[in-house]
Amino acid sequence: MKSLLVFLAVGALSVLASSRAARQADRSFLVSVLATSGLVFVLVGAFLGPSAAAVYTAADLEAMQPLLSFGLGAAGLFIGLNLEPGVLRGLPAPVFRAAGAQALAAMGAVSIPLAAVLYASTPLGVLQSLGAGVALGASAGVSSGHYAVLWYRSGRMERAQSVAVALLATLDDLGGLLLLAVAMAIGSGATPLHGLGLVALTAALGLLNGALLAYLCRRVEDPSELVAIVLGGAALVSGAAAFLSLSALLAGIACGATLSQIGGKSVDRLWKALSRMDRPLYLLLLFLIGVQVRLDDWPAWMLVPIFVALRFLAKVYGGRWGRKVASGSVPLPRDVGYALLAQGGVSLCILAETFTLVGRARAQVVFDAGVLGALLNEVLAATAFPRAFLTPPRDAQRELKEAGLA
Amino acid sequence: MPEARLRLRRAADLALLVALLGLVTGLTAMRSTLGTPVTLAGGALLLCGIFAGEVAEANRLPRLTGYLLIGILVGPHALGFIPREGVAGLELVKGLAVSLIALTAGTELRWSLLARVGRPVLRTGTAIAACVFLAATLLLFALHPLLPFLRGMSWVQALALSAVLAAVVVSFSPTVTIAIIQETRARGTFTEFLMAVVILGDLVVMVTFAVGAALAHATLGAGFNVWALLGSIGWELFGSLLVGAAFGVAMLVYLRRVGREVPLFLAAVCFASAEMGVRLHLSPLLLSVAAGAVVSNLDEREGGRVNHAVEKAGLPVFALFFASAGAGLHLESVLTLGPVALALAVVRGSAIWGTSRAFAPAEDPRLRKWLWKGLISQAGVTVGLASLMARSFPGPGEQMEALILTLVTLHELVGPLLSRRALIQSGEVA
Repeated sequence: MKSLLVFLAVGALSVLASSRAARQADRSFLVSVLATSGLVFVLVGAFLGPSAAAVYTAADLEAMQPLLSFGLGAAGLFIGLNLEPGVLRGLPAPVFRAAGAQALAAMGAVSIPLAAVLYASTPLGVLQSLGAGVALGASAGVSSGHYAVLWYRSGRMERAQSVAVALLATLDDLGGLLLLAVAMAIGSGATPLHGLGLVALTAALGLLNGALLAYLCRRVEDPSELVAIVLGGAALVSGAAAFLSLSALLAGIACGATLSQIGGKSVDRLWKALSRMDRPLYLLLLFLIGVQVRLDDWPAWMLVPIFVALRFLAKVYGGRWGRKVASGSVPLPRDVGYALLAQGGVSLCILAETFTLVGRARAQVVFDAGVLGALLNEVLAATAFPRAFLTPPRDAQRELKEAGLA
Repeated sequence: MPEARLRLRRAADLALLVALLGLVTGLTAMRSTLGTPVTLAGGALLLCGIFAGEVAEANRLPRLTGYLLIGILVGPHALGFIPREGVAGLELVKGLAVSLIALTAGTELRWSLLARVGRPVLRTGTAIAACVFLAATLLLFALHPLLPFLRGMSWVQALALSAVLAAVVVSFSPTVTIAIIQETRARGTFTEFLMAVVILGDLVVMVTFAVGAALAHATLGAGFNVWALLGSIGWELFGSLLVGAAFGVAMLVYLRRVGREVPLFLAAVCFASAEMGVRLHLSPLLLSVAAGAVVSNLDEREGGRVNHAVEKAGLPVFALFFASAGAGLHLESVLTLGPVALALAVVRGSAIWGTSRAFAPAEDPRLRKWLWKGLISQAGVTVGLASLMARSFPGPGEQMEALILTLVTLHELVGPLLSRRALIQSGEVA
């Protein structure tokens, strides 16, 4: 009863925090940052979880698993719907090189040392430690572009640079998700080939669901019916994936991407109908992730500073490297890494997916370290972000035009 | 588009969905460990329910029948595409749906209506409930040597347990009735009378059940405490009304002061009232009816807004609720307890038919002719009372519950069709 009422209250908060007023950048920067990143919902969840205020018990967490799967599937669906392969295809190669360089640096710099630390300090075996390290690396590679968006909205940043940073962050997300797929291929089957088969099965499941949803939505005009069908579709794809012990997040992405590609006119109607739902759903997902965190997980606390420090260095130096390989064709500041320190929701989704697939017993430390690290990175990003733009930007608009991004 | 083609298209939509579910079920053979099936059950039943409702509508059947039938088809007892644990995990949604439906019913219960039809409704409802109760008690008592759960008991004990079972047999279904009224958009005096009989009739049933259960406990040697009995009935009835009224006032304040995201707000309130009802031993149905009635009587405009919002949010909730109700029906018990349940259904139907023809107000001949059809359905309240019975009478209670669930299965298949027919015949369907 108590847990349900609290969940309802958090649901109400998520609706309030999604309002345009709460996200207006010119109101209070701190409030808008918290509302935009939504990480405050993770914090609230963590404090209400079994290890702190204990409003939620371990049994409640078990009961919440279907909701968590649904949240991951719905998040995947929204990511997939947002994917525009046409735009991605139109991006010049240096953008991919810049994104790839800095994301790979972060992934590599975090995965391998942390796998070694985990192997030395926990009872995990070699492969398990490597898998856990890769999961943390995937999460570390991901960045969030919400600061760039907020700075642009509040007039502190030029559009060209804001777009460039947001683009890198988006490509980071894709890299992180790709790594999740690789980790799944390595770790979820009896052999890597079997694991690869499972990844293919996940994609096929999402693809079939997406095609079916596109077919079912084609003649629905009523917005509330459309929302019901899409949310039902999200539940179906995430539920089918969770039932088959596959990744709900990846299946959701495949579903959303298929829907966006073959949905035709109904996709626009869909976006219009879903525009008030996506944000509260995302914030509730963050809350559900937060509730799973154990604040008394001391081994995880030990890992957090290593994770944050390695990621910080990798992002700063990886960012410089990325700028270098982009060879000046993308309007990036010298210290673009500072602008990519915030981790955002996708990294948490990757961690939650690992947690769901691998199981609480084996993944709790990695999950806790990753989530707590993401929270610290958000604080770090708040102070570091302006440093990326201390040097006056060059003629960013011109650079953007040259890069074909304007 | 020609009607036949439309029907075919809708059937094709549904067939594709069922085929996908079949594929997912087939894939389970490839996996050694399976995860939770609750999300799958929720999504599948929601989508199947929505499209089965359309197929039913295209075939001139109530949407609700479509929801129930597809639930049965893909549920654990027929094709087995939705595992039993998945259906069981949707309890919270069931509570939400019952509360939402009851809230709508409450907004229809205005003082002006109660003042106009309150007496005839109470008279008709009580007469029907009493006759059905007597007929069902006599039938069960007459059959008690043949019924495994009453065999071997003294005649007093058998009579007392027959009475408890008969009280549950009497119960109606406000959820089905109101859902059908919403679906057909029926408006008028016949519809108002039917809805009021169903709601007030169930109040009579709740009291009868509580008294019957206390007496049956006394015959089984547990003693009889009249104060405890009055306390529990009083708490369930008046406590539900009071808490519901408080909810109603709070809702009205929100609607007047904030007034945004009303469907979401109502869903949250209904979740809370459903949970609170279960935990505090209140009736979630009464609680929400009272909340709706308070809103509607204090501010008619806001009552209309609540109705409109529930209508907007209603499609997915009703589709999911009734499809999961269909998936949860115990088809296997129809085979074993079917004959007794059929006899009970015939006796119940005949008693409802006879008494409504005799006691319904003569001023409106439609009531005497067609009211009985709207009273056949049984669903949420009956299932709730049956599970209470199983908990209250360990041993015979479980078999009694199985018998009631079989009866509900029969009535859920026939009831919505009859309710819709009654509303159409009354001429009040828009």
